[in-house]
Amino acid sequence: MFSIILTSISSSVFAQSQQRLSRNFPAGKNVRLELRNISGTITVETWAKDEIRITAEMDTRKATFNPRQTESGLVIDIVGDNRGKDVGDMNFKIQLPARSSVDLETRSGQISVNNIQGELVRAHIWTSGDIVLSGINAARVFATNTIGDIFFDGEFASGGTYEFKSGKGNITLRLPANCGFRLVATAPTKEIKMGPFWHPGMKLMGEGRRIIGDVGDGRASVTVTDYQGNINFLRR
Amino acid sequence: MNCEKYQDLLSDLVDGLASSEDRASVEAHVNGCVVCAEVRDDFVAIVAFCQDHRGEYDAVPNERALWLRISNTIEAEDSGARTKVNVPSGAGWWFRLMNSSWQLSFPKVAAAAVMIAVFASLGTMFIGKMSPQGGGVATQGFGPVMNGLSVDDRYRQQQQAVAYWNQRVELNKARWNQQMRETFDRNMSVIDAAVNDSMTQLRQNPHDPVSEDILNDALNDKVALLKEFSEL
Repeated sequence: MFSIILTSISSSVFAQSQQRLSRNFPAGKNVRLELRNISGTITVETWAKDEIRITAEMDTRKATFNPRQTESGLVIDIVGDNRGKDVGDMNFKIQLPARSSVDLETRSGQISVNNIQGELVRAHIWTSGDIVLSGINAARVFATNTIGDIFFDGEFASGGTYEFKSGKGNITLRLPANCGFRLVATAPTKEIKMGPFWHPGMKLMGEGRRIIGDVGDGRASVTVTDYQGNINFLRR
Repeated sequence: MNCEKYQDLLSDLVDGLASSEDRASVEAHVNGCVVCAEVRDDFVAIVAFCQDHRGEYDAVPNERALWLRISNTIEAEDSGARTKVNVPSGAGWWFRLMNSSWQLSFPKVAAAAVMIAVFASLGTMFIGKMSPQGGGVATQGFGPVMNGLSVDDRYRQQQQAVAYWNQRVELNKARWNQQMRETFDRNMSVIDAAVNDSMTQLRQNPHDPVSEDILNDALNDKVALLKEFSEL
């Protein structure tokens, strides 16, 4: 049933004038959503339904929006579907089950992800845009941009991998007091503020441009890199 | 005249130095000889490559390995000539392969050298392409222990990939709108600043692992960004 509905929707191409489109897709609890946007805002929220709702606001009638079913979930490739076209901003609001994984990418624009408890959260902005990840409890989290701030509020799972990287912007991680992770934080500005997570066992390298050390049980791997900004750790 | 004699004249022919008599003779032969035609094509390709890249020859990733391969090829040619074996008429392909003299003319050796150099350069680009980047999956450095190259060598290699993708981006830039051009340039300048800062640090302290990692990361980011925007 899922396949039939999704295939029928996937085959349709919406090429209309500036507009707002909403579409629902049946989904299991552990669905994976991939979105590759060109420009615009992406907002992801969770809800209690076993389905994905995608609301897209498009600037231009030339834009093609063609979701595709995969074995694991849903793929929306705006870049591939609109190659060679100037489609302007496309803003997405996505609602899906909390146990979902999300892999989001855009050339520019903001990305906001809230309350995801799945396997993966990846937010990548090729150029400018802020990333806000809040209420996250995922085993793997990757957040990267070139210009813009990154904010993470969530938990680190034991054995998980977490990477945050910005070219020019501040990176702020807000974590519970009892979290455990092995940290490699690098900032040439030497502005790495560990806050309550600092302890004398941590090692400073490169005159304070890098801090390496374990916090708590050290079971999660956390890498934070910021070329021209500050890195801040806050306790929840 | 046999093929060997004609091939000796091919270089002059390609350079335009052959006499009219030799030219006519060689061209007549090449028109009917596939082997010599291939040698002539190799020569033309080499000369064209050298003319196109005059004074811009980048070092291949491992020059020593390249020259060892060329040296081995030449030695194989010499030893092959010395140990020529008579092949029985009923011999199988394995016997023929193992007892082949592998005689290579100079143009073939030279063509092989150019091909190795080109493939080595392309390999470097693909290594840059395949490196974890953009998605921020890894942050390993390129310390001297990993590949035996100095930071400068590694930087120069990566610059080849940068130049390649930059060329593609420049071709597409005219199609971009003003906002996209400005965004791209602004973001590229951030990455360039990181590259320049880490290079400055490394000149002051050549063994600074933090600067090496940042340089590696920033160069990978730069290639990834160029690659992404080259598709636009």
